[in-house]
Amino acid sequence: MATDAKPSDDASFERVDWDALESEFGGLSRRQTAFLGAMAAFALGVAADVAVGGPLPLLGDPAPLDWLFRLTLLLGTFYVVLPLYDDPRMTRHYWRQFKRNTAAVISLGYLAVVFAVGTVGPTFLPRPELDLLARRQPPVFTSVAADVPTTCAGEVVNGMCHGTWQYPLGTNAQGHDMLHLLVFGMEVSMQVGLIATAIIVVVGTAVGTSAALFGGLVDEVSMRFVDLLLTVPTFFLFILIVYLYGGSLFLMILVFGLLSWGGVARLVRSEALQRSEEEYIRAAENAGASKAWILRRHVIPNVSNTVITAATLTIPFLILAEAGLSFLGLGDPTTFSWGQTIADGRGELAGAWWISTVPGVFLFFTVLAFNFLGDALRDALDPRSEV
Amino acid sequence: MTGRPDEPPAADRSGEPLLRVRGLKKHYPITEGVLRREVGRVRAVDGISFDVYPGETFGIVGESGCGKSTAATTLLRLEEPTDGEVLFDGADVSAASKAELKRFRRRAQMIFQDPTSSFDPRMSVGESVAEPLRIHGMRDRDRRRRIAQDLLERVGLSADDVDRYPHEFSGGQKQRIGLARALVLNPDLIVADEPVSALDVSIQAEILALMRRLQEEFDLAVVFISHNLSVVREVCDRVAVMYLGEIVEVGPTERLFADPQHPYTRALLSSIPTPDPRERGRGIELTGDVPSPSDPPSGCRFHTRCPEIVQPDGYEFEQVHWRRVMDLRAKLDRGEVGRESALDLAAAQSTATAGATDGARATGTPPDEARAAIRRAFDLPEALTDERAEAVLSEALGLVVDGDSDRAAALLAKEFSTPCERRRPRAAAVDDGWSATCHLLDGSRRSEGVEPLPGRED
Repeated sequence: MATDAKPSDDASFERVDWDALESEFGGLSRRQTAFLGAMAAFALGVAADVAVGGPLPLLGDPAPLDWLFRLTLLLGTFYVVLPLYDDPRMTRHYWRQFKRNTAAVISLGYLAVVFAVGTVGPTFLPRPELDLLARRQPPVFTSVAADVPTTCAGEVVNGMCHGTWQYPLGTNAQGHDMLHLLVFGMEVSMQVGLIATAIIVVVGTAVGTSAALFGGLVDEVSMRFVDLLLTVPTFFLFILIVYLYGGSLFLMILVFGLLSWGGVARLVRSEALQRSEEEYIRAAENAGASKAWILRRHVIPNVSNTVITAATLTIPFLILAEAGLSFLGLGDPTTFSWGQTIADGRGELAGAWWISTVPGVFLFFTVLAFNFLGDALRDALDPRSEV
Repeated sequence: MTGRPDEPPAADRSGEPLLRVRGLKKHYPITEGVLRREVGRVRAVDGISFDVYPGETFGIVGESGCGKSTAATTLLRLEEPTDGEVLFDGADVSAASKAELKRFRRRAQMIFQDPTSSFDPRMSVGESVAEPLRIHGMRDRDRRRRIAQDLLERVGLSADDVDRYPHEFSGGQKQRIGLARALVLNPDLIVADEPVSALDVSIQAEILALMRRLQEEFDLAVVFISHNLSVVREVCDRVAVMYLGEIVEVGPTERLFADPQHPYTRALLSSIPTPDPRERGRGIELTGDVPSPSDPPSGCRFHTRCPEIVQPDGYEFEQVHWRRVMDLRAKLDRGEVGRESALDLAAAQSTATAGATDGARATGTPPDEARAAIRRAFDLPEALTDERAEAVLSEALGLVVDGDSDRAAALLAKEFSTPCERRRPRAAAVDDGWSATCHLLDGSRRSEGVEPLPGRED
C-alpha cells in the first residue's frame, strides 16, 4: 500500500490513500487465481488431446465426454465445495437445517457412494467382455435351474445352480459381470446427471440474472428465446440426431443440457428481479460497483438457493431420461447404461430375473435419493428459515 | 473549516457550496403496449434547486410520494436525471464520465431507510462494510478487515461482530452498520433517506446522536430526507419543503419552523402534535385529494388543496367558503359531481336525517333539495356572504341538478378563476437564504414583491 502510516494507523478509514488505489481490477484473490490456474490446466489438457490425437502420458486417452465431466467436477469444486469450506459458520448452519431430514441424510450418503464408485471405479475395472462360458450366473446366495447358465460357476445341487462370490450380482446373457455393469452404469448416470445439469445451471443462471439486471431489450429477447426453447420437443430432436449421427452419450448430454435451461432461466430471472429491488443492490451501486460486480457478488449468491434446488431436482429427471432412451435402444451402444442393461434383461426375466432387477433397483434408489436431497435442500436453503 | 464550538453545527455558508442542485428533474415515462409508446410521465421530481454547504445538514421534508426519495437517488445519479444539473465540488455529476462518477461515488454515500433490506443476507457485516473499499481497489484483505473492525467499534458495536450476519442484529444495530458502510470511504456528503423511520423512537434518538457525532468528527455534509418534522427540526440546519416534485419553501430550520411562509409549510407544521393543550385543535386541515404526479395541477401545484388560495377578482368570500367552492369546482372538473350523484346524496341525507319512514320521499327528490345536498356535502353555507358570488354558485348548482355539469364547471371556471391555477408562482426571497414559492409572496398580488431567486423560474 502506498500509505506511509504506522501499522496501527492503517486500520482507520481516514488514512486510506485513495489515489494510490483506483480500480476494482488489477489483481486476483487466492481462489480466483486457483480457479484460473485450474481452467488453464484444463484448456491445456484439451488442447494437447486435440493436438496429439492419441493417448497422452498421465491422462490416457479421454473422450470428449470425459473432458466435459472433468470440467463439471472442476466447477463443482470451485463453486460448491470451496465456498462451503471457506465459510464453516454458514456450512454448519446449513448442515443443522439439512440433517433434520433423516431420509435426505441417508440419500446423501448413498449418492456419495454412487458418485465415488461411478467416478473412480471404471478406471480400475476392466471393460466387461463377452464371456460365453459365464452367461447367466445367478447372484450369490441365490440359485436357479441348472439349465439357465451355460456352465454353472458355483455348485450344482439338486439340479439347481448356486451363485458364487466370483459373480456377487450374477452375470447377464453376454456373461458380463453385473457388478461391473452396475459400476459402469453409475458412471453413465453421474455423467448424464451432473454434466447436463451443470450446463443447465450455468446457462440458465447467466441468462436469467442478466435478463433481470439489464432489463429492457436484453430481457425481452432472452425471455422470448426461452419461450421458443421450451416449445422445442427435445425427444424428437434427439431421435433426429440419433438418425443422423448414431446414438452418442456425448450428444445426448449436449442436447439435454442445451435445450433444458429455459425453466431454470425463468426461475432465476424472477428471483433475481425480486432481489434487485433490495436496497443492498442500490447500496453497492452507490459504492460505485459495476453491473458485473453486483451480478457476481450479490445477485448470483442470492439466487443460488433457487438454482441449487432446481438443479438437484433436474438431475433425477435427466438420469431417468437417459435410462429411458437407452431402454428404447436410442442410447449409446458403446456404453453400459443401466437402461440398456435393463432392456437386455427384459427377455430373460423368466429365467434370469436379476439381469433387469439389479440395475432397476439402483436406478430407482438413485432417482429417489436425488428427490429426497432436493426436497431437503429446498427446506435447508430457504432464506426465510435463516432469520 | 475551523473547529466549531459545541452548539449545533453551524455550517460555514460563506464558502462555495459542496453540492449545488439546479433544476433537477426526474420523470418516469408511462408506457403502453409492446412498442413501449410513451403515454404520459410521472413527474416525480420536477425542477428542484438547492445548495448544500460543507458540514451542514440539509433537510428535505414532505408527504410520502412528493418525490423526496427520488430526489435523493437522482442527485446521487443512482437514477439518470431527466434534466437539470448536479454540481458536486464544482464538477457536474450529471455529465460525469464513468471514471469521474466512480470518484464521485467515493465522496458521496447514502444511508437507507430499511436496515433489513440494505444488507446482503449472504455477506457478513464485515464484508458488507468493507465492500466499498474492495470496489475502489483496496486489495489487502486483512487491511479491509481491520478497517471494518475499527469502524464497527466507532459506531458503537464490537470488533468481533465483523463475522456475524445481518440477521443476527437488531434494526438499530443494522442502521449503525449502515453508517459504518457509508463512512468507510471517508465521504464528504451523506444522503440519508429516512434513516430512522423504521426504528423505535428510543433507538431513533441514539442513531441521530451518533449521526451528529460522526458528522462533527468527519465534517460531513448531510442531506437528510424525512417525513418526520420533529426529527428534521432536531437535526437540520436548513430545510426544504417539497410538494409534488417541487420545493415550495426553503430556509433555515428554526426560523422556517417558527414562521412558515408557504401555506403548505404552515399546514404541514400544524400537523405536528404539540404537548401544549392550549395549542391543540389549531391544526390546518387540508381538503381535496393529493393530486397525482402524472397529472399535476396547473399553475401552483398546491392550489387544489391550499387553504389560503387567492380569491378571484371582484368577489369577497369567506376564505374557508372559497376553499370549499374550489373543492366543488375540482370535483366538477373531474366529472365526480353530477345530477345522479347529487340526487343520491340528497336521498342519503334525507333518509339519514328524517329516518327510514320518510325514505319514500327520496325517489322524488325536488331540485332544491338536491342543490342543498351538494352544499351540505361540500360544507358550503346556505348562502355565500357575497351576493354576486352566491348568484353564480346557485346558477352552477342549478345546472348540475339539471344534468349539465359541464356547463356548471365552465361557469365556475369563468367566474371563479384564481391566479393560483393560471400562473406558476416564482420563488420569492423572504430573507437571506430563505425563500418560498407562492403567489402570496411573489409579487403577483403584492406589488412590493421581492426579486425572485435566480434559477427557480420555469
